[in-house]
Amino acid sequence: MNKIIVYCISILVLISIQTKGQQQIKGTVFESVEEKNKPLPGVNIYWLGTQAGTVSDENGQFKIPVNNNSHVLIFSFVGYENDSLHIHNNKETVSHVLKTNRTLDEFEVVQRAKTSYVSRMSTLNSINITSGELVRAACCNLSESFETSASVDVSYSDAVTGAKQIELLGLAGIYTQILGENIPNLRGLANSFGLMYIPGSWMESIQVSKGSSSVLNGFESISGQINVEMKKPAESEKFFLNLYQNQMGRSEININTKASLSQKFKTMLLAHFSNQSSKHDGNHDGFLDEPLYTQYNFFNRWDYNTPHFEFQFGIKALYENRRSGQLSFRAELPRDTSNGFGIKLNTRRYETFLKTGYIFLSRPATSLGIQQQLVYHGFDSYLGLNDYKAEQFSYYLNALFQSYFADTRHTYTTGFSLIYDKFNENLNDSLYDRVERVPGAFFQYTYSDGTKLNVIAGLRADHHNEFGLFVTPRLHLRYSLNPHTIIRISAGKGYRSANVLAENVSLLASSRLIVFRENPRLEEAWNLGINLSKHFDINNRELTLSVDAYRTDFINQVIVDRDTDINRVLVYNLDGRSRANSFQVEANYELINGLSATAAVRYNDVKMTYGNQLLEKPLVNKYKGLISLSYVTNLKKWQFDLTTQFNGQTRLPSTTELPEQYRLSEYSPRYTIVNAQVIKYFRKWNVYLGAENLTNFKQHHPIIAAHDPYGKYFDSSIVWGPVYGIKVYTGLRYTIE
Amino acid sequence: MKMKIVISGLLLSLLLSGVLVFSQEKASKTEKVIIKTSAVCQQCKDRLEKHIAFEKGVRAVSLDLETKELTVEFRTGKNTKEGLKKAVTKVGYDADELEADPKAYEKLPACCKKDAPPH
Repeated sequence: MNKIIVYCISILVLISIQTKGQQQIKGTVFESVEEKNKPLPGVNIYWLGTQAGTVSDENGQFKIPVNNNSHVLIFSFVGYENDSLHIHNNKETVSHVLKTNRTLDEFEVVQRAKTSYVSRMSTLNSINITSGELVRAACCNLSESFETSASVDVSYSDAVTGAKQIELLGLAGIYTQILGENIPNLRGLANSFGLMYIPGSWMESIQVSKGSSSVLNGFESISGQINVEMKKPAESEKFFLNLYQNQMGRSEININTKASLSQKFKTMLLAHFSNQSSKHDGNHDGFLDEPLYTQYNFFNRWDYNTPHFEFQFGIKALYENRRSGQLSFRAELPRDTSNGFGIKLNTRRYETFLKTGYIFLSRPATSLGIQQQLVYHGFDSYLGLNDYKAEQFSYYLNALFQSYFADTRHTYTTGFSLIYDKFNENLNDSLYDRVERVPGAFFQYTYSDGTKLNVIAGLRADHHNEFGLFVTPRLHLRYSLNPHTIIRISAGKGYRSANVLAENVSLLASSRLIVFRENPRLEEAWNLGINLSKHFDINNRELTLSVDAYRTDFINQVIVDRDTDINRVLVYNLDGRSRANSFQVEANYELINGLSATAAVRYNDVKMTYGNQLLEKPLVNKYKGLISLSYVTNLKKWQFDLTTQFNGQTRLPSTTELPEQYRLSEYSPRYTIVNAQVIKYFRKWNVYLGAENLTNFKQHHPIIAAHDPYGKYFDSSIVWGPVYGIKVYTGLRYTIE
Repeated sequence: MKMKIVISGLLLSLLLSGVLVFSQEKASKTEKVIIKTSAVCQQCKDRLEKHIAFEKGVRAVSLDLETKELTVEFRTGKNTKEGLKKAVTKVGYDADELEADPKAYEKLPACCKKDAPPH
């Protein structure tokens, strides 16, 4: 009891001391223009790891109260490198020169202790998932990296192929633009399986931005953007090995190495191998619960950096084969209705990119960048009696020039882009060949008064060889009401050219016939969003509360209708309304020393016009919840993670025309998924043991008419829950720095 | 079903072993020492704390970047101040009067080197 009283008194004393001696540090920030120092207004200055911050005034001067918790001042400003400064003497006046940013990347990553956070400075509602967050779910590739994230959902597209898709703001993954280091990637044919082509141990961090995004990366993002930063030779470990094994027979090996040819010229090799070779049919429907597969994946990159020139070159190669379907299928026998239902999905993908950047040292915040990418994607498959072969050849070019008007509060980026795609698709000997050429130009203006207001206004115009000219306006505002409360508003348009077959490979594993009622037009939508984030100081720890509301309105959408006709999948352009509302509340707090918690709830209301009725989009959870706990022991030797996801009901596609025994209820049930993991750290390596789906929840009959795959009613595409129950995995990571 | 039991058993034993490790460490006497280092930035701090945490007997470690002083709490009998100082030099930093191990120093991130621009 006495102890508690003493403790309380000492806290009171501490608080009074803190409020009493509010010393201030004064200083000036400069930028270097033609070797002369010029005052730099609008620079964000804050104490590392705290919320206490200020902004430099028009003469570059600032005042900041001394902080007892931190001695390191962080300087941060668009177009400049983030910098830190140690304050050793509180009475000294600080003068500091900021260096021009030497990276081409548009995302700034601010070093913080949190593993997943919304950058306070960012104008966009962008969540950064760091490598620290990625290890919380040990498995294995991009599709499995969002288990601890409240904003992005990942689900299986069907019960047989293992294809996964993400969902953002209640909309399918096709409406989220995926970038690999700011170059659009996984477009077209890669859409269904692409998330599995980026191994977890290749990724350094992921940035998820919700709603309309910047015009610099093209017109394609509608519901949001996911950027994946890969490991880079400059910051990565010399050698890294990751081994993974789960009880279903999935094995993975990842090896990363790097070499420096000189101080400026560095290379890195990343290799991945994964394999699933044991067959499982836990629900006894005669179909494999998860496909057998083998994937070989290589990435070699070369970076060359000098103070004013930057060069990055990379080459990737992937080969994957998947086998799935009925256990009774014999690949050596002819594929007909007397054989089992077999599935083969083979992928070959080669990518190369080249990024060059030139930084004008004489003028701050001024640079020129050119991004180029070449991709070949080959897909060879059969699903039962359906044969689908496809090839895509793509070229991407984006040239950006960045500079400023009057002073660096007003910056702009302008440039042009070219997208070229050649598709050759063959479905059961019907050819769907096409070429898309889209040249475009863009201009984006960024204003930052440094204290309160940031504005990004962008406009681009693109010309599609088939769909003609179209204009993409986008606007972002960030306003901080006070240092603890930030409002972000975004509005913008997005477009997309649909690749119906490649995006719906899963539908080929059903008896339904895909029927194009008309030629798909360019998809077009408006997205509006508002985000409010507030930071509270409770018991000297920060509680972050974030509230989002987003709305997407489609002007045109390619509807893939599974409701109107039970024997067919109808493809047509939207005639009527289609909209998605998404509302989310998320809170983050460190409950006790080392134990951090995230809790989130989301409500999605997604409706589309099918035929002539406005219906809820099937297989979208109306409600979703997440509680995620992470505990790290004092010396960071142990880490415990526990994530619980609550999944609400989803509407199922109409089955009323099916014979009674195959009919499903109108809605799927609610269910809960629990994942847990333990990591033990050693000096150079760590071991992990974890389990997914601890409550062993399963969708019991994921395939309709599984015993009659060549009959009229077979359908494997109505999947709303896990097909497989508890999955236990273990593995290790070994690092040489 | 059997699988489930085995799995929950495994998870439980891992958790328990963690708890046991902590309770054991609390049992014996500890000593607190302060070592003056040459660490300069946040990266240095993370690096040094991580490595010293894995030295024998260490129960708590923290670096004050302002004073460059590393405070280490360790179990007497398991380690000595000299041993810890040597460990600091092997991570690449000076420890009191001892100079950093040159090989380890070479491997330090740019911001931790002595010729890095003043912080």
